[in-house]
Amino acid sequence: MIRQWYEPLSFSEWLRRTFSFLNIAVFMLTAVFVFSEFRFDWYEHLVGSYLASTNELRPEKGAIWETGKHTANAHEYLNKIISKKENTRQNAHEASSFSDLSSTLLPGDWVILEKNQFKILYLTLEAANYSKLIEPAQLVWLLNSSSLDRIFCEGVMGGIKIYFIDSENRVIQQIELKKEDILEIENGEKPVSGKLTDMNEFQGRIYPASIFFDALFKLPVDIIPDLMVNPEVLLRQDGKIINVGIWNEARNGYIKLGFEFEEPGKNVVVFIKGREWAVWQLSLNLKGDGN
Amino acid sequence: MNLMMKGLLIARGVFFFAVILVSLGCILGTVLIFFVSKDLPKLPSPLSRIIETPQTQIFAATGQALITLGERKTIPLNMVSQDFINAILATEDHRFFEHHGINKLRTLKGLYVTLFESGRVQGASSITQQLAKNLFFSFEKTYRRKVKELLVALQIEASNTKEEILHAYINQIHFGAGAQGVEKAANVFFGKSALDLTLPEAALLAGLPKSPTNYNPYRHYDRALKRRDTVLKRMVQVGFISDLEARQATLITPELHYEQSDSRTGSYFLDALIKDLIQKYGEDVIFHGGIKVFATIDTRLQSYAQKSLKKGLERLDAMMEIKDDQAECPQGALVAIDTGSGAVKAMVGGRDYYKSEFNRAMNSRRQPGSGFKPFLYYSALRDLGFNPATVMTDKPVIIPVKGAADWKPLNFNRQFSGDMILKKALTDSVNTIAAQMVEKLSPETVIGTARLCGIQSPLQPVYSVALGTSPVSPFEMATAYSVFATLGVLHEPFLFWRVEDAFGRIIFEHIVQEKKVLDTVTTYQLVDMMKSVIDQGSGRSIRELGFSRAAAGKTGTTDSFNDAWFTGFTPTLCTSVWTGFDKEKKLIDVRGVGITGGKSAAPIWADFMMNALKSDPERDFPIPDTIRFETVDAITGCIPEKEKEGREVFTIPLKSEQQVCREELP
Repeated sequence: MIRQWYEPLSFSEWLRRTFSFLNIAVFMLTAVFVFSEFRFDWYEHLVGSYLASTNELRPEKGAIWETGKHTANAHEYLNKIISKKENTRQNAHEASSFSDLSSTLLPGDWVILEKNQFKILYLTLEAANYSKLIEPAQLVWLLNSSSLDRIFCEGVMGGIKIYFIDSENRVIQQIELKKEDILEIENGEKPVSGKLTDMNEFQGRIYPASIFFDALFKLPVDIIPDLMVNPEVLLRQDGKIINVGIWNEARNGYIKLGFEFEEPGKNVVVFIKGREWAVWQLSLNLKGDGN
Repeated sequence: MNLMMKGLLIARGVFFFAVILVSLGCILGTVLIFFVSKDLPKLPSPLSRIIETPQTQIFAATGQALITLGERKTIPLNMVSQDFINAILATEDHRFFEHHGINKLRTLKGLYVTLFESGRVQGASSITQQLAKNLFFSFEKTYRRKVKELLVALQIEASNTKEEILHAYINQIHFGAGAQGVEKAANVFFGKSALDLTLPEAALLAGLPKSPTNYNPYRHYDRALKRRDTVLKRMVQVGFISDLEARQATLITPELHYEQSDSRTGSYFLDALIKDLIQKYGEDVIFHGGIKVFATIDTRLQSYAQKSLKKGLERLDAMMEIKDDQAECPQGALVAIDTGSGAVKAMVGGRDYYKSEFNRAMNSRRQPGSGFKPFLYYSALRDLGFNPATVMTDKPVIIPVKGAADWKPLNFNRQFSGDMILKKALTDSVNTIAAQMVEKLSPETVIGTARLCGIQSPLQPVYSVALGTSPVSPFEMATAYSVFATLGVLHEPFLFWRVEDAFGRIIFEHIVQEKKVLDTVTTYQLVDMMKSVIDQGSGRSIRELGFSRAAAGKTGTTDSFNDAWFTGFTPTLCTSVWTGFDKEKKLIDVRGVGITGGKSAAPIWADFMMNALKSDPERDFPIPDTIRFETVDAITGCIPEKEKEGREVFTIPLKSEQQVCREELP
């Protein structure tokens, strides 16, 4: 049934229509709705509770979470530094030689060495090479002086630096070791292809092997170990010794001796060290002035 | 009748329209909430988790804690003065305990003002909304951000009690000057805990969060007080205090706490240190990593440095008749370095950190004037075979310069004194003799020596560089003069000894390395000449002020009197002091006479060094074995003749191969 709407014809009809049940109900409902919201904040409660229920599903973003991320980044970075340092420290402490230590420390890495560990590493060197690193007497004094606090070892491009530092972090003694220096100290000088006659430093002091060894065996037995401090490098070398040369200068109480080995197709010179005074005795024998 | 009916008809229409509008609003709002909520940030639980940020601590070399970065001292509500809680509620949200995240009436009012009163924007954020904004949102003003902020506020209200919200709010709110949280703020501004805040103090603090920069009491105390009075008025309106209480509080001007303000709210040294640390580790580690940094600064020396500079600048103000309220006051800077290690022991970068944070000690480059001459003299002793008794002539000098006008340097007093030995020439800072030497040496040689000593600023390879026309910083001057103090050994200057993580594991450690850059014996000769500057030359005011220890140094004053320096050292401590205006302006006293480094900077140096070294044993510079001393005539450079008694003589150090009276006049 279609009801035709018409304009109220009288004021009473208008009032009747205005204050109809439906209108009053809608008004009351609206008033209650608005009033209760102002009074009890139910809409806020409702929305707040809904949001709280979905909290776990929402992303961790915004200033406070950013701060958390910064903190996480910082911790990650710091942990990386610490774990790298810890690894370096562990590797350095397990190092059985200066070469090991050097390969452990990349440029920028550093580690604190215990006095005892440094002593152990130092004692792995051949006695003849001690002074190449630091004079034994100086080391004894450094390790026993009250001013030494720690031994700080830092990786640098192509080697390591070792600092003996006092309690105020001041460097008392500093040693810089290139990788090739370390190899030389630990393994002796590398054999060189060529002949002794091509090396100026041996000129005038090159002797056939037989004459050299004749003169050597004329020396008292207790001198020979001082003359050939590290003969094992000679034993390791293939070929036959044909000439022996004596270096023209002494360094740190030692004089270098060059042994020329003849190998098929090439000659190789191997270097060892002899104590200066023992070499001097040998020279006398070689010149025929010895006993 | 018809009219009334029409009116009622319209009213009915409006009512139904409003109902429909509200209904639609509710539906739309619900849909909007549903969609927007997906993009809302997650809320930490419990809310107090927001305060758990690791703090980076910086300690002085002497062990005191200097600053904690990101420090928020969290305290429970019952440890906060009720006056402060009332003040912050009255100012920010007096209906906080009544609403559920939004103060609807205030929001409607704010909306009306913003929409209908042109040029006015009224905020209506409740404390919960402010908390939501501070925790999650940027400060960009968009409606989208506002809606999100409102929704998060509703969630905060739904998940936390009012006390928890207020607790979180007062513990994270920013008060400026590096203070976050009420406890820290009370500590920084008044040197007390939040519980002990009085009404005037509490009201002042409560006024700051609106604009911490504009109301920073250290910078704008008057503005902060005005804002404080507004807070007190609000407290009266809300009924927290009576009108009488407010009036009584208005009469009180709270005393600001300055004692710890330098270390706790920022200092030139800490600025430089933090910048250095950020360069090394990045901002995340410094501000969020919770690391421990052990700085080089000595708080005792730092305190003396601040006092000496302040006193010296006040004396300078008096000489120039500059009043406190004058906009432009002369500035100053002081850097002190431990010569044995390179550790920076004290640094003041300006008159007042809170008025200007520009660090003049590190970042300001100014012409050092004659302060640069030691590099020239060292070069001459080393390369020209000169010794301190070498005779030169103070005379008018014209040095041709390729492609430019001839260089005609003049002495400070515009007079010429004839022959004199080098030691006297440096003691009296004779420019013409310096000019003759740089002509013989070349500017590049002098620059080379300065570089060896650690000067890194760009230096112009022109003759005048020897007279200090290329600007350098006080930090560089202190570094370079330290090399003289150690007789040729450079220690790289540094600001921190050690960095540890939160568990005490070492991340960085500074190793003091020596780099021999100058010859010991030649440097000793230079140091001896520089001692004479203090004993009887342009820096003699230092002796007049009572500083009696063995020390060497050099004044520096630019031709224009824009810069006045004194850099000097004892065997253990090297200090550089600069004074001048930030802008190009002369230091001229009331009589119109230019103020030199000897008058302005040297007294500051003396005052600082006397205090800094008072507990140290006195020691002189070590004399190299090969040095021998001769007394010579200041004019002839020869052994003084009996008949010429009364003439000025100098005792000079000579190397074993050097003889006096042998050199011909160059």
